[in-house]
Amino acid sequence: MTALASDELSIKFAALADPTRRAILTRLANGAATVGQLAEPFALTQQAISKHIKVLERAGLISRSRIAQARPCRIEPAQFENMAEWIGQHRQMWQDRYDRLDQHLTALQADGPVTGGTRTESGTRTETGGT
Amino acid sequence: MTQPGEFTYRRVHRASRDLLFDCMTRPEHLTHFWGPDGTTTPVSGITVDLRPGGVFETVMQNVTDGSRYTMRAVYLEVRRPERLVWTEPGVEGGMTTTITFSDLGDVCTEVVTHQINVQVMFASPEARRGFETSLRRFDDYIASIAAT
Repeated sequence: MTALASDELSIKFAALADPTRRAILTRLANGAATVGQLAEPFALTQQAISKHIKVLERAGLISRSRIAQARPCRIEPAQFENMAEWIGQHRQMWQDRYDRLDQHLTALQADGPVTGGTRTESGTRTETGGT
Repeated sequence: MTQPGEFTYRRVHRASRDLLFDCMTRPEHLTHFWGPDGTTTPVSGITVDLRPGGVFETVMQNVTDGSRYTMRAVYLEVRRPERLVWTEPGVEGGMTTTITFSDLGDVCTEVVTHQINVQVMFASPEARRGFETSLRRFDDYIASIAAT
């Protein structure tokens, strides 16, 4: 991962940090919408919504049509992929750390009293946000 | 609900809660597993002041080029053996890590690692470099395994 790619990623995460912007994205996941349509469910001016839309657009998470006069906003699904990839790498870091911890525990317990049984399997389950 | 920048990792280990809590909080244990592959985390570079407001720092050193990356955190909550919380306050809204230890019986413990504000790692160039280095090391490690 290049530093440039990481900067893009931090801009994307920052864009997602705001609940109004997440609500806008949720709405856009159901189809394109104009600024006016997006403003409707919020107690916000169209101007305030436009600011949020600019942040999302700069982050690359949405695009706006250059053709139609109303310039409807669209979600850019591909842009969410490198966020998912980064979260995956972060998970790998923890998995790796706990793998080493297991090795350390095995070494410790080999010297100590038997803790019953010979089961060695361990289970993993993960949940991630930002995807 | 899972928020952007929130991260959860669950794992079951075959050891008691007390031992796992000690592994996560004692330098003589942390040195064995804390740093990413291709780094060392010497005991001398680990600071653990195990109380709320106390310092938790680890200096990870790259084996090949000697470069160092320091994680600087402060404990928010210390409840042996069930819960440990620290925050990395270097950046506004710092990344906060909560580790809970649940006794499953039969000397099995579930360790849940939950982090919020994970994205702030990217606000700090130093953290970014350290993290990228660790990933590169990990990739090298995987490549070396695959080659054999």
